Amino acid sequence: MKQIDILIIDDEIKFADMLSRRLSLRGITCQACYDGQSGIRWIKENPGAAALILLDLKLPDMYGTQVLAHIKEIDPAIPVFIITGHGTREDEKECLDLGAAEFIHKPVSIEKITTLLTHVREEVK
Amino acid sequence: MIRTPQILQKQEWLAFLFHRHNSHLASFHTFSNYRRIWIISIIILAVTSLSPLVMATFINQRLIRQAVDSELVLQTERVTSNAKRSMRFFLEERLNALRFIVNELPYYALIDNTHLAEILSNLKLGFGGFTDLSIIDADGSQVAYTGPFNLEGKNYKTQPWFIRSIESDNFISEVFTGYRDVPHIIIAVRSINALGRIFILRATLDTQRLMDTLLSYKTNVHTDIFLMNHTGVLQTPSSTYGKIFTHTHLDIPEFSTRTNVIQPENLSDNAFVTGYSYIITEAVTTPFILMVNKKKSVVMGTWLNLGQTFNWIIGISCLVMMIIITLVSTFMVNKLYLADNTKAETMMKMEQSQQLAGIGQLAAGIAHEINNPLALINETAGYLKDLYHYTDEHQNDEEVMENLDTILEAVSRCGTITSQLLGFVRQFDVQTSNVDVEKLITGILRFHKKETEYKGIHVTTEIAPETPAIETDRGKLQQVLLNLINNAFQAIEANGCLDITVSHLPPGHIFIEIKDTGCGIPEENLKRIHEPFFSTKKEKMGTGLGLSITYGLVKKLQGNIRVESSEGVGTIFTVTLPVKMKKEDKT
Repeated sequence: MKQIDILIIDDEIKFADMLSRRLSLRGITCQACYDGQSGIRWIKENPGAAALILLDLKLPDMYGTQVLAHIKEIDPAIPVFIITGHGTREDEKECLDLGAAEFIHKPVSIEKITTLLTHVREEVK
Repeated sequence: MIRTPQILQKQEWLAFLFHRHNSHLASFHTFSNYRRIWIISIIILAVTSLSPLVMATFINQRLIRQAVDSELVLQTERVTSNAKRSMRFFLEERLNALRFIVNELPYYALIDNTHLAEILSNLKLGFGGFTDLSIIDADGSQVAYTGPFNLEGKNYKTQPWFIRSIESDNFISEVFTGYRDVPHIIIAVRSINALGRIFILRATLDTQRLMDTLLSYKTNVHTDIFLMNHTGVLQTPSSTYGKIFTHTHLDIPEFSTRTNVIQPENLSDNAFVTGYSYIITEAVTTPFILMVNKKKSVVMGTWLNLGQTFNWIIGISCLVMMIIITLVSTFMVNKLYLADNTKAETMMKMEQSQQLAGIGQLAAGIAHEINNPLALINETAGYLKDLYHYTDEHQNDEEVMENLDTILEAVSRCGTITSQLLGFVRQFDVQTSNVDVEKLITGILRFHKKETEYKGIHVTTEIAPETPAIETDRGKLQQVLLNLINNAFQAIEANGCLDITVSHLPPGHIFIEIKDTGCGIPEENLKRIHEPFFSTKKEKMGTGLGLSITYGLVKKLQGNIRVESSEGVGTIFTVTLPVKMKKEDKT
């Protein structure tokens, strides 16, 4: 089981790849999953491996909130940040109710993500 | 852009008359022409309320006039009738006295002057009005005479009265002057003496006595009562036609044994009502016509005065009613207008907010769709930059770096716009949950940690210990605080201060004060900062929507926002929020 910093679950392959590459350049290890199922599977297979999860809402196989519910079932402690281009008020409320750490709209700056990670790391300490 | 509806002062009097036609509101009004409604309502009210009054007055006037007319006729008839009876009685009584004398006394006794004088004195005593007595034979020569005039031996053969009296048993003459040159009336009875010869007993009557009797019926100066003969010559003086023997030139009324009244066709108030009666005794028809003229105006005077007073009262009440009707109509139509205006304004606002919601939904849709490709651009450009940055190849190629930064900045601006558009749409939708203000603020400040350190900004957060979690819309509050804190950070120069204070005002409110030592807002801009698209950050990345949205959001959260600022010193934004939001209908 390998320890990583961020798990990205986003169906926009290019976006997820770009983001993970950029983060890698900053020394942050990433794992990208392109649909809900594979994301959940990865978490199941690597419990406690990711420091935080960036989750998109619009996924090809299931909706982000469902994925979030699954993740929280598996590991309630893991901070999940919703990063989405869509996302209505209802989504935001539902996500926060389900235990999402924050609801962030795309586009998001790389600095914001690194800051998030820093906070998470600090809180863990 | 959204039009701000014209707010009317609700108490404005006559607003509907003087207000400019507001074409924006016009399409929402129930009625279009309030002046017309006003005029029509005044007319309808005036006609319905005043016409019965006016009609009643008119009818009343007519009835009064008719009553007065018939009263006048009755009065005239009564006076005429009474005067006629006394005239007839006056003449008849004296004629009968003469008849009694010729029947009772023998002829020789009558022609005895001494005896005759005795008879005259008895007549004067018993009846009065007699001037003299004489016996005249069939030839016209006066046989005996007693009286004040020296008429003994006169011959009356040619006198018209003699010719008439010799022809009938009884005779009453007109008023005439005769030999004595004094107006008098002759009454004569014809008889036969023991020798079978016709003779006449003639008495002269004093007209004064007759006139006195007549004048006793003259109740006032406006009643003219007089006698005239069958040709229209006055037999007694008349206040209308003049002295005795004047020709009146009146139409001789139709002969009648009864009392009659002639009403003038001309109903003017100066007209006369004339009562007349031929004076006919049992034995003889006299040459007299009794005339009574009553001036209409006199009898009607009281009535007319009353009528005039009545007219004044009616006129004044009509005027008062008109004033009241006008005032009431004006008041009602004004109320109607104002209510309609308020309704129209509300409808316009509703339509505007619906339009806005529609635009918002469209904008939100676009924002959503754009966000994903934007994120991709962002990451790709970022990656390129990273590549240069981390691989050292073009690290020092300033042009490349500058262009990449331009792309990233543009993306960031687009991102701001889309997120603000989304925020704008969210104004229309409120979802409440329990929010810990402290956590929210800490979370927001976290994003600015780097900037804080970099600029050396001193940030203090002071949360009053008893501050409760508030029930509000988390997303909106976050947006509000984010906007305000972002603004503060943009305003603060290096080594500035940002103080955030949260205090609790029991029972129901909390204050969030965000105080910066930034550049401040010039006074002329303070009034405008909440207007949409107002921005002083043109060269930077301001859309001018931030504070406008913030104001809208705070209102949605049922709170208040206040700003104090002095240029160069700093700005304080104070947000007041209810601890628990009241439920409201979603609009």
